[in-house]
Amino acid sequence: MRLRPLLLPLSGIVALAVGLVTVGDLNGNLVYYLTPDEAVERRAEFPEDRRFRLAGEVGGEEVRRSEHGASFTVAGSDVEVAVVHAGVVPHLFQAGIPVVVEGAWRGEVFRSDTMLIKHDEEYYPADEADDALAGPADSGTDRAAGP
Amino acid sequence: MTRYRSTDLVALALLGAGFVAILLAPTDGLQGVLQRLMYAHVPAAWLAYLAFALTLIASIGWLRTRHDRWDHLAVGAVEVGVFFTGLALVLGSVWGKPVWGVWWTWDARLVTTALLFLVYSGYLALRRGIDDPRVRADRAAVLGIVAFVQVPIVHFSVVWWRTLHQPPTVLRPGDPTMDHTMLAVLLLNVVAYSAVFVTLLRRRMDLARGERALEQGRLAPDAPVAGDAVVAPLPEGGERG
Repeated sequence: MRLRPLLLPLSGIVALAVGLVTVGDLNGNLVYYLTPDEAVERRAEFPEDRRFRLAGEVGGEEVRRSEHGASFTVAGSDVEVAVVHAGVVPHLFQAGIPVVVEGAWRGEVFRSDTMLIKHDEEYYPADEADDALAGPADSGTDRAAGP
Repeated sequence: MTRYRSTDLVALALLGAGFVAILLAPTDGLQGVLQRLMYAHVPAAWLAYLAFALTLIASIGWLRTRHDRWDHLAVGAVEVGVFFTGLALVLGSVWGKPVWGVWWTWDARLVTTALLFLVYSGYLALRRGIDDPRVRADRAAVLGIVAFVQVPIVHFSVVWWRTLHQPPTVLRPGDPTMDHTMLAVLLLNVVAYSAVFVTLLRRRMDLARGERALEQGRLAPDAPVAGDAVVAPLPEGGERG
């Protein structure tokens, strides 16, 4: 069988991949963001100079936009983390949308300077999206469709 | 000389219909018009998967039978697949800037897709580096088989790891999380782009056949290249055996 020479390189690649994931803590390095629950639980591991990404849904109340950013809360399953964001606020930012913010703890508040919208995998026209999302979906449409 | 096949015209017509459907599709409630980029982004990504799956099959076919047509299919599929991978990356980036807020981020889906692009570009570079057609096809086939391991990793990256990129909408267990009119537009565009893919692939395979014929002419100077009336020139200092 001519495929025999493939056996060694293939098994090598599989062994390397399994090894990286299990021993090399590849999965640990691949954590793109922490949930609010994890961030609170692992607060001690992240002193105020250690940056990480935090992801969660923007809380319905207490969303305040300012000239230089926004302050709001991101909700996990059990906890809410207050976020003070100084930097660019993406167009789609609104209550109820999942965001990823980059920054570090400052006391009990997460100070971020970079905000990304974590769009979900659902696509619906405006009237149906209104039901799916608590926030005002039509304002998102207007802003995105505008010049 | 370019000859048009009927499949070319079918592909063009489908692409036109798909484009009209994109303009007529309902506007996404959250993203607005930006979401329409998805109707090209998703087909491009799907065709990258399809192309590299064809390369896998063709590479196995070559190693088992050593028929040239398998090698032509393998190289043609990689070349077209690299194009569609690049297209998916570019369209995703153009979409990501207004929706996510960044052109690029180091999440698992984006990085594995970029690696996919680079590894299959490497496949094309590897072929350029080997003169002997048989050795070239052998080595390319090994890479064509091994490199395919990336495709499931790219697809499931959004499920296995936390990413900024959203998880699958259509290729997932259960009902697609999408309005059904939008889904129909997407499927029409998948068909249209696939038809374009087929015509590009056939063109590229014709080219591979031509290249092979040219190579055989060059590598076997004793064979009558242009019929018996024409004699190939003697290699420098060589003797005809």
